[in-house]
Amino acid sequence: MAEDMKKYLKQLLLRVDNLLCILITDRDGVPILKAVNDKCPELAMRPNFLTTFAMATDQSSKLGQGRNKTIICMYSSYQVIQMNKLPLILNFVATADCNTGHILSLENLIEPLLGELKGAVIES
Amino acid sequence: MEKSIERCLSETCSMDGVIGSVLADQQGLCLGVKGKASISSSGVITAIADQVAKLEPASKNPIIVLENDTNQCLIQRADRATVAIFKTSNPVN
Repeated sequence: MAEDMKKYLKQLLLRVDNLLCILITDRDGVPILKAVNDKCPELAMRPNFLTTFAMATDQSSKLGQGRNKTIICMYSSYQVIQMNKLPLILNFVATADCNTGHILSLENLIEPLLGELKGAVIES
Repeated sequence: MEKSIERCLSETCSMDGVIGSVLADQQGLCLGVKGKASISSSGVITAIADQVAKLEPASKNPIIVLENDTNQCLIQRADRATVAIFKTSNPVN
């Protein structure tokens, strides 16, 4: 089962040019499922980097614009897209010139996986 | 800025057979949408335009036509934006 999910995630990773990593973590940044390219920077997959999102999404939900769904961070060489699917967090790491809209459209394709993973996270 | 984009998309949609249009930037993010078109299609449209442009790098931006029995989708990339126009294959005259 987990192998099938991993395979599916790997296929999605190959679908978008210059997408380096898809990472599904829990609130604490603990990886649950990941598909990684060799070129992905190690730093972007560390829990202390990933947990920052949980805090940022909580804070940005207080801006009076409703609940925060997605945060896109553009850096000089990379872009990091994180989606609020609490208790899970969806993380994408890509090069700065990667098609952001295409990455965002992967959300619908990953959604079916999240249902089962959410159950596992809540149980534990 | 948005107004000129919206006006342009509205003009496009008022043409014969056109049912919707989407404008996306280089990053595949949606700049505007009108009619029967989805905001979430902007990324895929840009990706298609990028991939097709690689077929003949020396040529200028191609016009891509995706067609099914009832509808057509025309995609073209300009300098910094990509536009997709959705139209019926057989417009009622």
